[in-house]
Amino acid sequence: MSRNGPLSLLFHAVFVVFMLAPIAVVCLVAFTPEGYLSLPVNGFSLRWFRALASYPEFIDAFWVSLWVGAASSFIALGFAIPAALAVARHQFPGREAISALFLSPLMIPHVVLGVAFLRFFTQIGISGTFPALLVAHVILVFPFALRLTLAAAVGMDRSVEMAAVSLGANGWTLFRRITLPLILPGVVSGWALAFIQSFDEVTMTVFLAAPGVETLPVRMFLYVQDNIDPLVTSVSACVIAITMIALVLLDRFYGLDRVLAGHSDRSS
Amino acid sequence: MAFLELDHVSKRFGGHVAVEGFCLSVAKGEFISFLGPSGCGKTTTLQMIAGFLDPSGGAIRLDGRDLARVRPARRGLGIVFQSYALFPHLTAAENIAFGLEMRGVPRAEREARVRDALAMVGLAGYGERHPRRMSGGQQQRVALARALVIRPDVLLLDEPLSNLDAKLREDMQIELRQIQRNLGTTTVLVTHDQTEAMALSDRIVVMSKGRIEQIGTPHETYERPASAFVSHFLGKTNEFPAEVRPNGSGRVLVAGSCRWPAPAGPSGAVTITVRPEKVAFADGTADGLAARIANRIFQGNHWLFQCETECGAALVVRQNNGERQPAEGEAVRLVWRAEDMGLRRGGEA
Repeated sequence: MSRNGPLSLLFHAVFVVFMLAPIAVVCLVAFTPEGYLSLPVNGFSLRWFRALASYPEFIDAFWVSLWVGAASSFIALGFAIPAALAVARHQFPGREAISALFLSPLMIPHVVLGVAFLRFFTQIGISGTFPALLVAHVILVFPFALRLTLAAAVGMDRSVEMAAVSLGANGWTLFRRITLPLILPGVVSGWALAFIQSFDEVTMTVFLAAPGVETLPVRMFLYVQDNIDPLVTSVSACVIAITMIALVLLDRFYGLDRVLAGHSDRSS
Repeated sequence: MAFLELDHVSKRFGGHVAVEGFCLSVAKGEFISFLGPSGCGKTTTLQMIAGFLDPSGGAIRLDGRDLARVRPARRGLGIVFQSYALFPHLTAAENIAFGLEMRGVPRAEREARVRDALAMVGLAGYGERHPRRMSGGQQQRVALARALVIRPDVLLLDEPLSNLDAKLREDMQIELRQIQRNLGTTTVLVTHDQTEAMALSDRIVVMSKGRIEQIGTPHETYERPASAFVSHFLGKTNEFPAEVRPNGSGRVLVAGSCRWPAPAGPSGAVTITVRPEKVAFADGTADGLAARIANRIFQGNHWLFQCETECGAALVVRQNNGERQPAEGEAVRLVWRAEDMGLRRGGEA
């Protein structure tokens, strides 16, 4: 075990403070009694949390975000798992091209994606609907789901599957009983990363949102365009609180390191 | 009657020939080893028997039945991999039960057979452990139990002991042999370790560059290697350039200052091969290869001598039986019995 010197400790402390400061500031400002964004806060009030109740569109947008994030991540995985297994273990013509195609949403600026999707969805007449938003998000998060699933599939010991085959497992049984459990850490991490990506996304989604089909970040973005008051900070504080609770629960029951790093060192 | 038969089996990957003209008949209950350096095609051959690779040519028959159309999941072979390939998310007992489950064996019988299998490999009571909480040796045993519990026609072992440390490997060799004898399971072992092959097998198939060099019992392959490759791969061999000359009415074999009556066989330039442990020291007056001890290395139960002879370098192994051994720098004569000596055509060592 090497120990950190005072300089490096200082560096790490400054780094952590720098990373956490915006979150802390947002949470502090959320408790302001004033009608404007101000720091330092003089006084403490739940005024802006109470105000949330009179803006049901934020609550609705939160649910939309949750559903779009969860559903798009699941659907993306439904494609990513077979794609990852195929790319990881077979040599076939066009393999490189297919991998590149699968990862291409990463390389296209979200603005461009947003405009393209808007044009396309309008053309086929589903613009502004939930399914349209969902399809766009599936494509957006697919590379994230694929990357981690692929890493797990590549790292898998093929002889484990061969052993299962020699013992009589085949097809779906092989996948369900052996392959999926083996790549599960990568699949779960892929889902989590895809979900975060979807939940965070503004630039593309802002083109596709319509009243009733707005994600939370888009709702907040639209709100701050017209109003400068601490309501968005209280919304942010709520999201931060929910995220922290979710992370604590996840760590307790599954292990955060497994989700984020795709490791499976802990005994299950 | 051959139980497992490989008939001119070959495998090509693109232009590369991995296995060529592989013919072998394995009797029921026999323990066969495929021995050779890495890349000799031994694992490829094993994978073709298992069905993970399709032969490019030839046929593999098990009990008279052609395996070409039998899917790997239906061949009913037990396989132990070098990495053990245990299912990490299942306990030892669940690992062993997997093959039985796939065969639809009822739960009660399954549990009894898993218990027996665990006991057989000396892991009774370890059933609830996960593989990652077991030592390498224990994982190895679980893998063996998992392969054997389905009562396979043939047990395939792919370098199963090479990840274990030396002491454990020796113990497992003995245990493996014992279990195999008790069950009478026809077994094919792939290994690059000649001592392992010799300790375990009824017959050894020595392979090099995709071809069979020799098939024989461990004793045969060691004592009468069919080729230079075999004699080098199985233990150490001394080689001395020599010549067979006509001498009056007969012929004589000459190496340095030594001569022997020439055996029937090649004439002209030849190579003498003799195992290090068959060479003895004699004093300077004896009729033998003149040599000087360059290095003397003590290895516990035996001494290893590196000698410089009139015909090149030589190794001599002598039992540490309490007799006086020559010192470094001492001049000696190397002698051996004529029947311990092999002769190969060609002068190049």
